[in-house]
Amino acid sequence: MVEIVSAGLIGLSLGAQYALLALGFTLIFGIIGVVNFAHGGFYLLGGYVAYACVSMAGLPYPVAVLAAALATAALGYLFELLLLERVIDDHLSTLILTLGFSLVITTGIVLVFGPDAPLFQFPVQGVVRFLGIIVPLANIIVFAICFAAIGVAYALIYRTNFGRSLRALSEDRAVAEALGIRARLMFPLAFALATGLAGMTGALVTPILSLTPHAGEPVLAASFLVVILGGLGSLGGATLAAFLVGMIEAYAAVYLGGSKGALMLFVLVLIVLLVRPTGLYGRTARGA
Amino acid sequence: MQTKTSLLSRIGAAELIALAVMVSALALPFFVSNAATVSLLTQIMIGVMGALSVYIMLRMDLMIFAVPAFMAIGGYTAAILSVRHDVTDVFLLVAASFGIPFLVAIPLGFLVLRMRGVYFVLVTFVLAEIMPLLLFETPRLTGGSNGIAGLPAVVAFGRPIEDSTSILFMCTALALLATAITVALTRVFRPQFESIRENELLGQSLGLLAWKYKIYGFCVSAGIAGLAGFALVEMLMTAHPSSFSALSSVNYVAYTIVGGQASILGPLVGAALLVWASNLFSLQGEVSQGLFGILLIVAVIFAKGGIVGVVEKLRPKPKASRLTAS
Repeated sequence: MVEIVSAGLIGLSLGAQYALLALGFTLIFGIIGVVNFAHGGFYLLGGYVAYACVSMAGLPYPVAVLAAALATAALGYLFELLLLERVIDDHLSTLILTLGFSLVITTGIVLVFGPDAPLFQFPVQGVVRFLGIIVPLANIIVFAICFAAIGVAYALIYRTNFGRSLRALSEDRAVAEALGIRARLMFPLAFALATGLAGMTGALVTPILSLTPHAGEPVLAASFLVVILGGLGSLGGATLAAFLVGMIEAYAAVYLGGSKGALMLFVLVLIVLLVRPTGLYGRTARGA
Repeated sequence: MQTKTSLLSRIGAAELIALAVMVSALALPFFVSNAATVSLLTQIMIGVMGALSVYIMLRMDLMIFAVPAFMAIGGYTAAILSVRHDVTDVFLLVAASFGIPFLVAIPLGFLVLRMRGVYFVLVTFVLAEIMPLLLFETPRLTGGSNGIAGLPAVVAFGRPIEDSTSILFMCTALALLATAITVALTRVFRPQFESIRENELLGQSLGLLAWKYKIYGFCVSAGIAGLAGFALVEMLMTAHPSSFSALSSVNYVAYTIVGGQASILGPLVGAALLVWASNLFSLQGEVSQGLFGILLIVAVIFAKGGIVGVVEKLRPKPKASRLTAS
């Protein structure tokens, strides 16, 4: 019983991380129509920026997380504005562009920080005991922050004019532009929001999991699984699928061990795709 | 003269050049003796096959990241046959390493080719991520994390292919075969592939069975990737999950895009140049990845046609000859 509950709690905390990552990923796709292969790269960059702030500049950890989110958001903004905007209507080109950018980020990190994993620990250690269930305090804090961030992202998208403009652009770009919403202005901001979320997740999660120059790849793969399951472009679907994936991963790790959990997820994705080729909450994909 | 022009128009100039280059590459093993050069050329041949696999799917505007997965199927097929079942005849092994991925791709294709555009891209990336896991989880079939080592030498015409020069010759012959298959496929089904690439919906409404041609392309692409896997396994003398990492799929995509996706010469030129460049920077593997990244960005922003496209654009101008010569 205790095992089931604690695996469930780990699943919830994994799910919250995946949800935060997948929200950004699916936001970029839904609004701009771009599959962001650099999403794992921004996550990684967030982790390293936070690490540099804490260990080199001696800043407190919360400031470092904020700095990571701002730095990745700024980089995302510039990347969209200067590079992505030039080929925005060609889905294959945007894909390759983000792929190239992710390789550049990884290499840049290796050149600056070296290929080895630096020691980067969560500032709060210790565990919480409750009815025989033991949960690391760090996981609870990260879960709470992720949950709050998901709430803020939802509020931003569904309750503000900024979010309304973004959703209008994703519904019908031509009509939205005719009504005076400037895509040129909004797209870089949307991209920055998404990459900022990825960077913040990286800063929060890498101290618990691990910080290596290759930590971005599994994160990208997990984001893919989540958005395929949830349906590209659907925020609700992504959130739901993220918790599903987190739960399956946590229970599989406890009861099956090894990489069987990942294999199970793959089978699940295949089954879902067989039944619904556009994911749980999907709509028709853009492009050919 | 008449036959020459009709052959040219039927096969295409770029395709003829590609075939001629690959045929003349068969002579390379007889001139090169330096071990490092032999190894580089062998890697280029494997890269060419992987890039051709990507190129075929791009004919239908589909970006594929599953090349290492099919390479693994082809490579492990050959390894299991030769180690466990004493099959060493090169023709049998080549047929198996092309045929098994080809057959696997049929049911898989029905599943994943229903996906449009980006969904297809994501699913193929997931396939590439899953393949190493599958290899780790099936130790009785694939040796798990140990892989399959100690492959016996392949036998061709009663002669074992053992030294690295002979392996280079075999890999070059395989790359020539892959090029010939690609030329045949892309020329025979050119109208269908182009119709799918330009406007699949329109093609379908005019009676084109798009899914049929997509399956053809997908299966042949998988088969050629299998050949690349076979060559890789033979070069390393072992089959190991680390040879088929999902990240390596990016390399084959980079070869094709940087070389030029519009012409069959693109994958050839791209594989040759980028494999050579990454060997040049081989002191640090990460640096070559970054170089690929920058080249991909440059190709997308400034040169859509890749290297081959740029050269083609430069050619008619008189100034260009000086530029390329220097």
